[in-house]
Amino acid sequence: MTSIRGTHGTRLYGEAGRGQPFALLFDGEAVTAFPGETIAAALLAAGKVRLRVSRSGSPRGLYCGMGLCYECLVTVDGRANQRACMTEARPGMVVATSVAPGAAP
Amino acid sequence: MIEDTDVAVVGAGPAGLSAAGEAAQHGARVILLDDNGEPGGQYFRHPPATWLWGGTSRSRSGRTRLDALLAALRAGGVDYRARATVWDFPEPSTLAIADGTRSGRIRARAIVLATGARDRAVPFPGWTLPGVVSAGGVQNLIKGMRVAPPGPALVAGNGPLLLVAAASLVRAGVRVAAVVEAADVPRRALREAGRLALAPAIAGQAAGYRVALLAAGVRMLYGHCVVAAHGSTELESVEIAPVDAGGRPARAARERIAVRTLVTGFGLAPSLELARLAGAREAREPLLGGSVLARDASLMTSVPGIFAAGDGAAIGGVAVALLEGRLAGLEAARLAGTGAARKAPADLRMRLARARLDRVRAGIARVFAPPATWRELITGETILCRCEDVRMADIEARIGEGARSATQLKHVTRFGMGRCQGRNCLAALGELLAARGLDPALPRVRPPARPILLGDLMTEDIPPPELPADPHLPRAR
Repeated sequence: MTSIRGTHGTRLYGEAGRGQPFALLFDGEAVTAFPGETIAAALLAAGKVRLRVSRSGSPRGLYCGMGLCYECLVTVDGRANQRACMTEARPGMVVATSVAPGAAP
Repeated sequence: MIEDTDVAVVGAGPAGLSAAGEAAQHGARVILLDDNGEPGGQYFRHPPATWLWGGTSRSRSGRTRLDALLAALRAGGVDYRARATVWDFPEPSTLAIADGTRSGRIRARAIVLATGARDRAVPFPGWTLPGVVSAGGVQNLIKGMRVAPPGPALVAGNGPLLLVAAASLVRAGVRVAAVVEAADVPRRALREAGRLALAPAIAGQAAGYRVALLAAGVRMLYGHCVVAAHGSTELESVEIAPVDAGGRPARAARERIAVRTLVTGFGLAPSLELARLAGAREAREPLLGGSVLARDASLMTSVPGIFAAGDGAAIGGVAVALLEGRLAGLEAARLAGTGAARKAPADLRMRLARARLDRVRAGIARVFAPPATWRELITGETILCRCEDVRMADIEARIGEGARSATQLKHVTRFGMGRCQGRNCLAALGELLAARGLDPALPRVRPPARPILLGDLMTEDIPPPELPADPHLPRAR
């Protein structure tokens, strides 16, 4: 089975009209975001779907997209367990995959 | 702080917006609370106002309806509070709100719960992999953030919303390999044609989706289900198989499809946590979302003074939500004793239209009624409680040790005790226990109804409770 890695989400209708893009860091890597986007949306557009590691070590990402499931938890500027789908991206934000206690990253 | 008002509405989706506007129109002071930053709920989800064509739905009918609802709020002087989370009913007719510096309590003569619905969470092997997204989640990404997930994608599960999600993906330019629907829809649709003909707009919409999908070359696989999702750190492929009349997959006829995104939809379930916290009685209506709220003709729940409207009470879709919102808003204003509402007669046309939609709802639900597959699909390794990583094998072991109820299992495994507070796991556990002849009752809902911060509890204005003097306690200086 051929690997289909490396694809990423798409910003619909292009990037025009969303304002001035900025960068945030995700696990040390620069990711483009636009004003008003959630962290989850910016990461998805960049192809980053693995957002956290659960207590049994299983990889997790966005699931419900409406702030109820708490699967999309990331660490934002040092604050743990922030929902990526409900947190607005801001310039210079430092976002990291959150790793549950006891799990290997 | 403690505030008083006539009507408090919880939820600013179609039903809540409708209820708030209607109550205000009948002279009530209304506070509308919603935990999102923008009004509209899931149905009217739209991009940020600062974006080009932002702040509204791209469809003309969506723009018109949302704009009209928001205009009614302004015209009625509704006090709309975004990012306000209702987390408890500390006393009858009182809501506890977490709202930053405005946290506190709201006392209302009448309350309308319009908390909406969420995707039914149905476990299957690999469902926790990044890349497996609920249909509601993908709709929110596309409608709210204008971001499409990576393709190729597969849309699988059960229910009419699969068509909506698939059509959204196709319109967004994502290659959709197939729509995998568990029910044998074409055959059943013929049977229910009489009921469906009562709402030609809905039937026309469904036909439109089908045409769009066929034109995009999307395979429509009825009577099939996803057996497993595979991948190491992310989703890489899914296995699908046909299901028999009893809902069992024919594993020998499996097919493996490489996908990056799996959109799952198993219908919607009302978000009943607040109503449960208030003590409202539920009823079983498998065709309307499973557990629904028991309500009288005025949409009042079994708790005096608390009404419920829209998908948050029973799944009915946006047309029903808008009408129920109006009815609940009118009745709430009447109960609050505003002079105008006392004189207004009940709107019979509203009630009749709702009744007509009831028959259509039942028809649609019968077309898509699922075969019970998921218990046949899961293995011991399948995670059932996503937040606390409780697997089926853990549940089996505890049942083997004598656990007989969801509450007992919760105590010994932490099932349902994670951040989602059981929203994605307790219903499935209840079904599993019922199938085993064990006690399917859910554990009691306790406050807070949503995770909140300690800071939200530290509101200075709430007076301490009146306690009898205790000679053994040190006296305050």
